[in-house]
Parts: sequence; structure tokens; C-alpha cells
Amino acid sequence: MTHEEFEAIAALDAIGAATAEETRMLEEHLASCESCRRARDEFAEAATLLARDLDPVAPPPEVREHVVDIIEEEEAGEDNVIDAGRRFINPWWLATAATLFLALWGWREFGIRVARENIRTQQAQIEELKSANALLQDQKQKLSVEMSALAAPGTRSIALSGQQISPSASARVYLEPEKRRAIVFFQNLPSNPKDKSYQLWIIRADQPNPMSAGVFDVADNGSASIVIENLPVATEMKALAVTLEPRGGVEQPTNTNFYLMGNS
Amino acid sequence: METTHEALLPSVARGDTTAFESLYDRYSSTLYALLLRILSNPEDAQEVLQETFVKAWTNAKMFDAARGSEVAWLISIARSRGIDRLRSRKIRGDRENDAGREISIHSAFVESTTGADKAVQSQESSAVRSALSELPEAQRVALELAYFEGMSQSEIAAKLGEPLGTIKTRMQLGMKKLRERLQAFK
Repeated sequence: MTHEEFEAIAALDAIGAATAEETRMLEEHLASCESCRRARDEFAEAATLLARDLDPVAPPPEVREHVVDIIEEEEAGEDNVIDAGRRFINPWWLATAATLFLALWGWREFGIRVARENIRTQQAQIEELKSANALLQDQKQKLSVEMSALAAPGTRSIALSGQQISPSASARVYLEPEKRRAIVFFQNLPSNPKDKSYQLWIIRADQPNPMSAGVFDVADNGSASIVIENLPVATEMKALAVTLEPRGGVEQPTNTNFYLMGNS
Repeated sequence: METTHEALLPSVARGDTTAFESLYDRYSSTLYALLLRILSNPEDAQEVLQETFVKAWTNAKMFDAARGSEVAWLISIARSRGIDRLRSRKIRGDRENDAGREISIHSAFVESTTGADKAVQSQESSAVRSALSELPEAQRVALELAYFEGMSQSEIAAKLGEPLGTIKTRMQLGMKKLRERLQAFK
């Protein structure tokens, strides 16, 4: 995948709309890409504009009191350790008590720090497991959708054939009319340049303009697949076509150089 | 936009409770409005607001000013916890019980903020509204469904009756515009 593709995922991730698989791929890439990390941070900041657009609403005063109480109790818990040491002030026992106190205090502090570190580590592990679980659920759902689509009795397939610009390319659309859903498998398409994306268009009988059905990139082996949801009812679909468009897709096709085309 | 505020989280990270109280006074109304928008329920919003600030106190050391602003860091915590609460509530089937509740609290503006904070908030709010008003309605709706309702791409496509690819493109274009506007503020 290109940096631009990862940036597009980062845009979706910032509003929680990236799929678990996309988020996993993005996280892997960010580990070694400073520019995409910066883009991720900028998208995350930009997403908060949606929240900052809301009219501020003052919460009830008791929420503030409760929050401050919790924080102060936490602080007091740490201060008590220090207070406990002062009870040992005695001229005869001072040296022993001071040594003992320091040892106990140090041990307690060390214990607290270790416990906090353990809690943080466990919380991080829980978050990681949650992410991994979400990813697996997402993959399971995707596979389930694909399997059910392919196996459904009402599923029919449409072949898209390569056009002049890519004669060896092909695609097969598995259409579930009842669920208004389709899975499309593309083969032998040339790799798209970094600044371009392939875009699948539905040409409808009831509308003059084509409708975008999805943007995709082609792997090195020339293959790709996408799931289309909320398809128009079959009678409204006249044909399907694929063009090469600016990165991320456009509202309407910018050219008529079709890579694939087929009638529904 | 946040440069006129003195950052408080570094002091909070050192255990400064006064700085923490200032942090609450400065941002609680923004976060509470967000949580009300997500949860549509004042009790839940107040609980999650409390959790958000306790987490901010505990994790203040993890705030990195190089990665983003203080308010964005807090909003991310609040939004994440708010969406978690929304999803758990959906699982429990409680959402229907709250559907009829009317919230008439938008008129209650922040009383605890200082005059300087109000001026900064007003200036920021104007710039933010300008940025959002430049988004086409369709893009804005798609972004809001994801951000405030926690909906997936497929759920948004189903709700709006549009192909998934169209929704994805809309959200990406909308976010690109917001990012460009944010960079223009700086």
C-alpha cells in the first residue's frame, strides 16, 4: 500500500470508521513511517473539530466536586505514607526509626510504583486484546458475508470483461439481489499509480449519472476484491464499469477510459 | 487555536491538583456537550465525564504536546469512553428507553470559565464553525454518524441508502478538508 492509501485509512480511523483490518494495517505501517504518523495525528486533531463545534454545556456542579474528591483522595493516600513516618520522632530511637522509616517508605513507594506499572501494563494488554478481538470479529464477519453471498441460492454472477486499455483484465460480480449486496473479484488489472485509485461505477437505468460503488487498489498480482452494500435494485442497474481516478475517488468519473465493463 | 491557553496537563502530570481543577473548569463544558451528543442521557454523560477526568489525571504523563492539542487529547478520551458506553448500552437494549428523553440544556453555557477562557472559546468556536460550514452536507452527515453515533462504514451506508464506496469516499474527502482547515488555523 502507498502512503496516500495509509493516509486515507488514517482519515477514517480518526473518526472511528476504519475497519479493524484497516486499523491493523495502519498501525503496522505507522511503526516505521514518520510522515504517516504525523498525518494520523493531524487527522485525529481535525476530527475533534466535530466536537468543538457543539455548544458548550456546563455539567452540574456536583460532578466537579465528585471528580475533585476522587483526585484528592488519591493524593491523600500517598501523603499518608509520609505522615506515618512522623510518629516515630523520638530522640532515643531517632536513628533507628529514621532508617526503618526510610526503608519502609522506600519499600512502600517502590511497591506502589511497581503496582502502578503492572496496572498500566495490564491495561495496555487488555486494550491490545480488545483490538485483536475486534479485528478477528471483523474478519469473521467479512468472511461470513462473502461465504453467505457465494453460497446463497439467489446469488447470480455478472462477468466484467477487459476493455481496450486492459484486454486481459476480468472481474466477476456475485450479486445478492435480496440483500442488495455484491462481492466483486478483480483479476489481471494493471497496478494503479500511487496518485490514482480504481473506481467501480454503477450505470443506472433510472439516473443519468453513474454512481460510485467503491474505490480500490490492485495488488502486485493484479487482483483485488470489494464488497458493495446497498446496491440499487437489479432492475435499475444497467451496467458496471471501472475507471482510473484521482487517489481516493471522485463523485463522478473524470474520463471514459474503461478498464472493465459488463452489463448486469 | 489552543495557543492562547497555557497548557495545564504538564502541571497535572506533576500532581498539581489546582492545575487539574483549572483543567476541569476549562474543558468540562466542551466534553459534557460531546458526551450528551453521543449518549443523549445526562446521567450517563456525567458518569463518563467523571471517568474521563479521572483518566486524564492518571494518564496526564502520556500527553504529548507534539502530537496534538490538550483539548484534542481530552476529547479523544471522552469520545472513546462515550462510544464504549453507547455500545454497551445498545447491547443491553437500553437505548429505546432513552429515545424519548428530551434534553434542553444547550442554553446552560459555562458558568465556571473565566472571562479569558470565554473569549478564547468564542474565538475558537467561530473558527471551528467556519471550517465545518464549508463541508458539503452529505460529507458532514457521514462524518457525524461515524463520530457521534459510532457507526461503521456499512452501517452508515445502510442508514443513508448509499453504496459503501460512496460513503467511504465522502468521509475521506470530508476529513481531508477538515485537516486542511485545521492547518490553515495554525
